[in-house]
Amino acid sequence: MRPPMTRRLTALALAVLVAAVGATPAFAAEPITIEYWHINSPTFGGPAVKELVQTFEAKHPGIKIVEKFQPGVYTGLMQQLQVALAARRPPAVAQIGYNLTAYAAGQFPHVMLDKYRKSDPDFFKGIPDNIMALGVLGGSLHGIPFGVSTPVMYYNPDLFKAAGLNPDQPPQTWDELMRQGAIITQKTGKLAVYLQQPNDEWIDQTLIWGNGGRPLSEDGKHVGWDSPQAIEAMQMWQDMVTKTKIAANLTWEEGLQAFLSGHIAMCLTTIGRQDHMRKNASGFQVRAVPVPRFGQKPLATATGGNVLMIFATDPAQERAAWEWIKFVLSPEGATIWTRGTGYLPPRAELAADPKYLKPFFDEAPMMKAALQTFPYAKPWVSFPGSRGLEITKILIKAREEILEGKRPAEPILKEASQQASALLPK
Amino acid sequence: MRPSRRWRAAAGYCYLAPAALLTLVFVYWPLVASTALSFYDWNLVSPTWSPVGWQNYVELVHNRAFWLALANTLRAAAALTVLTVLVPLLLAVIVLRVPRRWQDVYRVVLFSPTVISMAIACAVWLWMFHPLHGVLNTLLRFAGIAGPSWLSSSSSAIWAIIIVTVWKTFGFNFVLYIAGLLAIPGEMYEAARVDGASGGQLFRHITIPLLAPTTLFVFLTTFILSPQNLFVPTQILTQGGPNETSNNLGYLVYQLGFEYFRVGYASAAATLIFLVFLGLTAVQFYFAERRIHYGR
Repeated sequence: MRPPMTRRLTALALAVLVAAVGATPAFAAEPITIEYWHINSPTFGGPAVKELVQTFEAKHPGIKIVEKFQPGVYTGLMQQLQVALAARRPPAVAQIGYNLTAYAAGQFPHVMLDKYRKSDPDFFKGIPDNIMALGVLGGSLHGIPFGVSTPVMYYNPDLFKAAGLNPDQPPQTWDELMRQGAIITQKTGKLAVYLQQPNDEWIDQTLIWGNGGRPLSEDGKHVGWDSPQAIEAMQMWQDMVTKTKIAANLTWEEGLQAFLSGHIAMCLTTIGRQDHMRKNASGFQVRAVPVPRFGQKPLATATGGNVLMIFATDPAQERAAWEWIKFVLSPEGATIWTRGTGYLPPRAELAADPKYLKPFFDEAPMMKAALQTFPYAKPWVSFPGSRGLEITKILIKAREEILEGKRPAEPILKEASQQASALLPK
Repeated sequence: MRPSRRWRAAAGYCYLAPAALLTLVFVYWPLVASTALSFYDWNLVSPTWSPVGWQNYVELVHNRAFWLALANTLRAAAALTVLTVLVPLLLAVIVLRVPRRWQDVYRVVLFSPTVISMAIACAVWLWMFHPLHGVLNTLLRFAGIAGPSWLSSSSSAIWAIIIVTVWKTFGFNFVLYIAGLLAIPGEMYEAARVDGASGGQLFRHITIPLLAPTTLFVFLTTFILSPQNLFVPTQILTQGGPNETSNNLGYLVYQLGFEYFRVGYASAAATLIFLVFLGLTAVQFYFAERRIHYGR
């Protein structure tokens, strides 16, 4: 048996050796793993996320991306994110819907991105200022705009034909839609239109912008759901559901399914679904046009999509996160992303570039509807302050009550706006 | 030497300790913590908890959503209790009358919804409830009835949730009733028949009273568990809508805490719910204990 002293020395030597090895670059060269949270289910861009990760990892062997799908769209992701932040284990990068950026920027600890304007000026060159503005709040850059989508009107040309209408001339205004819709319902027995009703107020904001109103007053102190323009637009929606009975009042899944299975002639939802619509329309070839205008008023729609925000707290993770963001917005990354979803690329010139997205835009005619809408895109207003999420819910509940038709839109919207405005920061 | 009484008692507590410890940590401690939290304003992320006194409770009792959710929960609990006691009882009685070799088939078929995950059951029902081409409304149309917009109408949404919950949970009670029925001695029926009792009388005077302990168990567990069973269908089918009309207390707490991130406010709601159900359960036990005869 060796004397104890020798044993102790051996142990000490081993400890020193382990410490030394730990400090050498051999350990530091271990790939950095970062988490990326997104809302892209298998039918909504999921495969494109996987392709982005594979391509990125091949180019950056030092970084590993763990992509995690979060259900419940942007609100669902926010809920998980808030819990992860509370547990101090946030993802390095997450998609934050435009409707929630003000809330996230105000409530969550995150990395401010202005410093990268100096260190990476080339990256910022190709992205127009009005797009980059979607990630700016209070003069600072909180997130990088990633997916940009517009609502469009998908339609079923067969039902137009069956009603004796010309499928090459779908309605361009709401008046035309109501006239043609009445004919479709009368002749085919099918419903004419469904406006999406998920757990957000994106299409409601589109109607308000479209009729010349504002979802939030310019000083940010008043929710604009009680303006004459908003009341008129929402009353029109109610009338289509309960009076003329040409529109469907269905939950989000039900509405989409009813349109795809040929029970509804027109469906207003995001261009981000175009790939899914094209592949799942049963027995007809789905087409898309911009959403209807209000009479002579110019087209105006709320812009959907998300910014990428960095929540990494460790500098190495933050650097890796920034590399990932740069890649997904690079011409190569944006091409993969747009092809796999239908989201418009923040770098508009890619659409005309034969090396990148031109072939895709040539063979996906529905994308034209989004490109035509793009110049008229307005923000999807995010309600500021700690009660922003409740405000959204109040407005969704108001819509639900309106579409049931037990009371006219005006008193419902006046009450909801008053209640919502009281929750805005003073 | 035989261990003293004290040692044996100590050993008993040791055996009890793991279960007691887990209950303390995972049941009672959260109860205390959540009650404490109900006097603060906290968003789950902020490092500071701001004390707000009774304000969360005051706001809650002035919130229409809270009262709607409470009324809905009580309504749903009552409906579920009636349906998941009556339906399984009748089915159990009927199944025990079919020829022996078919009984097992019926038992498996009727129990199968219980083992399906609630989320999957809801996804299936989502399509059955479809107002335009769902099975339910198609059948109703054949009968000449215009079915409702199940999930988008304020009068039917809560019923859609109740239907799914009953369908998903009745199988367990059904099995309990089968066991209860089989435990009733056959001689009792024979003796009664000899005395000239009719089928209805047998059911009323023998089956029902001797099933009373089973019914009590089924009744208590259903009433206490049903508000919890409502959560998943509410989340998947309606999210409490339209306009709060299918909301319930469990889902409301989730909304306040994890949709609006007002954790203190949600805790206040949770504390009130705890008190409400504590009261109801106490009343239930008080009456139930006096009316059930366990002696056979």
